Amino acid sequence: MNCQELWTAMTDKADAECARHLEECPACAARMERQRLLIASLRTVAAEWRSMEAPARVEAALVAAYRAQGGVRAPARRQWWLPVLSWAAAAAAMFALGVFLVRDRQPRAESAPAHRTAPAGLEWASLDWSAGADAHGDATGYDNDFIPLPNAQRVGPDEEVNLVRVEVPPSALLALGFVERADRAGPVQADVMLGSDGLARAVRFVDE
Amino acid sequence: MAQHAAETDDELLMRLRSGDEEAFVALYRRRQGAIYRFAMHMSGSPAAAEDVTQDVFLVLMREECGYDPERGTLSGYLFGIARKLVLRGLERGRSDVALEPDNDESLPPELAVEDDPLVDLTRREGIEALRRAVQALPRRYREVVVLCDLEELDYADAALALGCPIGTVRSRLHRARALLLEKLSQERRPRPGMGALKPLRCVI
Ligand SMILES: [Zn+2]
Repeated sequence: MNCQELWTAMTDKADAECARHLEECPACAARMERQRLLIASLRTVAAEWRSMEAPARVEAALVAAYRAQGGVRAPARRQWWLPVLSWAAAAAAMFALGVFLVRDRQPRAESAPAHRTAPAGLEWASLDWSAGADAHGDATGYDNDFIPLPNAQRVGPDEEVNLVRVEVPPSALLALGFVERADRAGPVQADVMLGSDGLARAVRFVDE
Repeated sequence: MAQHAAETDDELLMRLRSGDEEAFVALYRRRQGAIYRFAMHMSGSPAAAEDVTQDVFLVLMREECGYDPERGTLSGYLFGIARKLVLRGLERGRSDVALEPDNDESLPPELAVEDDPLVDLTRREGIEALRRAVQALPRRYREVVVLCDLEELDYADAALALGCPIGTVRSRLHRARALLLEKLSQERRPRPGMGALKPLRCVI
């Protein structure tokens, strides 16, 4: 066994041949000793990190999601009536204000039903998963947080959509009928879901 | 929850699928810490780690989550989902940690360290240096160290999580450890002359 063969074999397990090489080769023996020390030290680091855990609110949110999945879904948080005719203009205005554009195959598989605070939930909201269907999307095919536009087509099961993150100034909110939102200071962030045809399908406000 | 201690992950999963909330909580508590730490190491962001942990278990709730006990353990599967979510977040510019190019060519050649005494790993500052060195590893090496050396996954589970053959896990882990030793060696001698670093004959 030469040095290279030793290290190839050692990544798996030590056997008698490896042991013999280590006895004969001081360079490999020294290197082996450093590796042992390194691995032992990594275990020390691991032990110190072992107390690091997800905050308790994650468990609470997941338990809520688990219950919601088994029972009746909670109603969407925002139930305002939206002026039908202004939606096309609204989406266009939001699009013009777009901050960034993310492509997404499965907008339904995203943030937890339990409400998240920004900015943690923002960019992650467009994650998709390889494993197919939605954990918590409702029968409309949208995430709970998305408000379907009344005159818009439904998003098809395999339709590619774009999510546009936009900033909506209070004046635009008022014009769109979101009086409650407009009362807040400063612009509000929102995600607009655009279908493969580029038309707005739904909107979701991003809470600060 | 003590009565769940003896149950396997797969048993808990089966029960949570049938609506047993206690089983869900037990499985979550058993696995969340490792998933959170992994996401934390990979993203460098507590907020991202929190989101990833939450999303991993949301995926698990789905009947068709894609977990196949034939292919590996639930733990390996969960790390795999976490990794996908982290990478997706990184691709979208979510994290402070930039993606490295996914090839080995950019790596410096393995350098000799055997003549350089290591940072004393038995001391506090040695452990701190090691922690920094892990964080400074390129992503593909950091993930294998976190999985195999910190979270102590076996190679099969790590391969499942990383989506690569077991042989690749082995070789990457080997390379990762070499890089760690190199970094620690540099730490001890902050500005080594290049002459002090001679090619190592034993290099694979
Ligand atoms: Zn040798």
